[in-house]
Amino acid sequence: MQKMDLADKNPLRIFARNSEGDPVDKRMGLLMSRPGLGKTAILVQIALDNILRGNQVLHVSIGQSLDKTRAWYNDIFKDIFDGVKLDQSKELRDKVLRNRLIMTFKEADFTRPKLEERINDLVAQDVFRPSCVIIDGYDFENGETQEVVDLKDMADVLGLQIWFSALRHREDDRLSDDGVPAPCHEVGGYFDTVVMIQPEKDQPDLSLVVVKDTTGCVKPGKVLDLDPSTYLAKEP
Amino acid sequence: MSRDLKKVRNIGISAHIDSGKTTLTERILFYTQRIHAIHEVRGKDGVGAKMDSMELEKERGITIASAATNCNWKGYDINIIDTPGHVDFTIEVERALRVLDGAVLILCSVGGVQSQSITVNRQMTRYKVPRIAFINKCDRTGANPNRVTQQLRDKLALNALPMQLPIGLEVEMKGIVDIVTMKAIYFDGPNGEIVREEEIPAGLREEAEAMREQLLDAASMFSEELMEAVLEGTPTPEMIMEAVRLGTLELEITPVFIGSAYKNKGVQSLLDAVLHYLPCPTDIENIALDLDHDESEVKVTNKTEDPTVALAFKLEDGRYGQLTYLRTYQGTLKKGDSIVNTRTGKKVKVGRLVRMHSDEMEEIEESGAGDIVALFGIDCASGDTFCDGSLNYSMSSMYIPAPVISLAIKPVDNKAQGNMSKALNRFTKEDPTFKTYVDEESNETIISGMGELHLEVYIERMKREYAAEVEVGAPQVSYRETISQRAEFDYIHKKQTGGSGQFGRVAGFMEPLEEGDYEFVDSIVGGSIPREFISACDKGFQKSLKKGALAEAPVTGVRVVINDGNSHSVDSSDVAFQLAAIGAFKQGYLKAKPILMEPIMKVSVEGPTEFQGSVMGSLNQRRGMVLGTSEEGNYTVIDAEVPLAEMFGYSTILRSLTQGKAEFTMEFATYRQVPKNVAEEIIKERRKEKK
Repeated sequence: MQKMDLADKNPLRIFARNSEGDPVDKRMGLLMSRPGLGKTAILVQIALDNILRGNQVLHVSIGQSLDKTRAWYNDIFKDIFDGVKLDQSKELRDKVLRNRLIMTFKEADFTRPKLEERINDLVAQDVFRPSCVIIDGYDFENGETQEVVDLKDMADVLGLQIWFSALRHREDDRLSDDGVPAPCHEVGGYFDTVVMIQPEKDQPDLSLVVVKDTTGCVKPGKVLDLDPSTYLAKEP
Repeated sequence: MSRDLKKVRNIGISAHIDSGKTTLTERILFYTQRIHAIHEVRGKDGVGAKMDSMELEKERGITIASAATNCNWKGYDINIIDTPGHVDFTIEVERALRVLDGAVLILCSVGGVQSQSITVNRQMTRYKVPRIAFINKCDRTGANPNRVTQQLRDKLALNALPMQLPIGLEVEMKGIVDIVTMKAIYFDGPNGEIVREEEIPAGLREEAEAMREQLLDAASMFSEELMEAVLEGTPTPEMIMEAVRLGTLELEITPVFIGSAYKNKGVQSLLDAVLHYLPCPTDIENIALDLDHDESEVKVTNKTEDPTVALAFKLEDGRYGQLTYLRTYQGTLKKGDSIVNTRTGKKVKVGRLVRMHSDEMEEIEESGAGDIVALFGIDCASGDTFCDGSLNYSMSSMYIPAPVISLAIKPVDNKAQGNMSKALNRFTKEDPTFKTYVDEESNETIISGMGELHLEVYIERMKREYAAEVEVGAPQVSYRETISQRAEFDYIHKKQTGGSGQFGRVAGFMEPLEEGDYEFVDSIVGGSIPREFISACDKGFQKSLKKGALAEAPVTGVRVVINDGNSHSVDSSDVAFQLAAIGAFKQGYLKAKPILMEPIMKVSVEGPTEFQGSVMGSLNQRRGMVLGTSEEGNYTVIDAEVPLAEMFGYSTILRSLTQGKAEFTMEFATYRQVPKNVAEEIIKERRKEKK
């Protein structure tokens, strides 16, 4: 029960259930922003939400080191659960450690067959059974559409939620028909949920804006405010 | 004596086993004319290399203890601290890192960055040690310095900057090209002692130019003078060196050098690099704690005229008596001076003062700030700070991990008995992570330390250096107990039969302590326990902590608060209250829900990606928690946390799982609760043993 209470402390629970109240366990999610606005921080909050709900999360970090990714988790964890009693926080930390696995790849090394092989390995050896995969640092600019299609296919076959992050450039203002900006405008159709981190005009504040969502969890438009110093989502 | 500190280098040489560290040190001592013949580590002449002064190291071909040695190159004083390459000896590495100002990271041109290099690099980063890299063994088949340089960037996250280019590789290696001066360098003579500079061979010209461009780009970040000169097309070697030096000191650049110590190539250039790029004592900020002012941090001055502050970082009990290695941070050490050990407050006299050259020594009269010397006949522990009496500083305490593994040893005969205790006495003084005690019940001598190999080495040393032959029991993990909740106690100790009576009542509670092992709080008001018996209560509780009721493991993380009690004017005594406290602890302990804790190791397995799945499976089977994997090409590093108890014999398992292609390192991480079902087994086992 307590676990659920803590999960309710995390505003990113909005992506966990659809408007009917049913859990969403299959999704292609995409989080986009300009550099330095806290993509990884949001992904980590999504991962923590999943872990607290009893899911296992595989965090794939492309081009970032293991230690750096781990540091993100530690920081966000500290910020979210600041004020939770110590013995409970120890237990929680342990839970996070047990239900999160970080994999790092070099940019050139990351492919669907490789990832699928790793996941199958983990399941076969009974080490880990992820139901949510975070892919941070995927290069959409130089990636092939086919690869995104492949990964979507993998999500379908293995029954996974996959959340990607993508970097937007200030100069590139191309959009897809359903409003997904470059560099993902050509693959926007393969995603169920697309979210952007947006700076407020003339203010340091950031907000999370939904571009599209076909899972029925959220409506397009601004859904959450973010604290610009910690990148934590604030309660709506 | 005034010395130019700018001309002093205190450096460490740190590396993976078998990357040729000892051979390199041997060559350095030869070229600096400290020794007059070259011996190989596993030499046929039976003499062995100079730095490995211990017999055992000679036999195993590895370096265990860090000896400090002094040499002179082009008018600069270089103190070399040789550091061991195996993780089980990290206390040695860490201690050495504390006193040195810069380091040379040695890598094998074939093996590249291996797991031990990662650990050592992490330690160097923790102690903010500027470093340069030396890619050794370029004469070996399969040598690929470029790949190793790339690994420095990828695996160690260092901004590796090549400073040299090899002229041929493997057996073809003839010399090196220096990118800064744009000269080819050859090493002639039977031992490579004649350095000959030539024009760069035509075939390498282009590559050298390209590398120089890269070097100028990277280096000009640190010097405006260089940046302007580059724009004008007039950079001088001096400007480049200065810029690279600045970058290195800021830990932003790691210059990379190449060579083959065994084939006498590149060693002199590396020595030059030590002078050019590594810091002198005044380049580094060292912090002391002022014990008279709440341990506030003070920067040591490095000035000879200031009061003395020196740190004892290593003890050795050699054939000349006890030797204490000291690094002076400010002031001087003179023969006949009195210095004060700030930990014990004891005053000692500086007797013989020597500069060490591995196991030979040179008597000196005086040494100054920034220097590393050894003293004779001083009683202290490693990590103690010495001041001249006017200051009360402590160099920030060194982190000393608690031992995690122990085993019982039994001398084979009476002669061995005596020798064994002599040996143990010395080892415990030298190495704070090595502990020994006699188990009261079994009467066995128990030794404990940081890993299997750690203890094995000491057992070997006992045999060799002290002729103490011992029988060795199976290794045991050092469990601990702690309590998980608050519990009250109220206990009366009463004995009135025969002789004088005993009476004491102790009441209060115990609760988990977040930091530290034990805390005793006296909240008695109104003298319900007379003041003179309070310390007896404390003593009683401390006695109880030695063996917990679960598995007879030491109890840690407990705060005991006493707030009530009773005494008797005739029958109360120290003993009565000690026994009352022991009874009170027993009463409260089980109510406080004690749990069993075990040492958890941070394990890092490195090997070909194809074995990733089965390696993770093997760690999982050992109750391990896989933290993450880093994949790079077809090589993967798996990080996990695994209970030490499950790691015995893992090297054999790993070898057979991966056809010998993977290796692992482990390091103590923390103590964590043993899962219930496992704990029950352990407790049952321990109780059975007792019966």
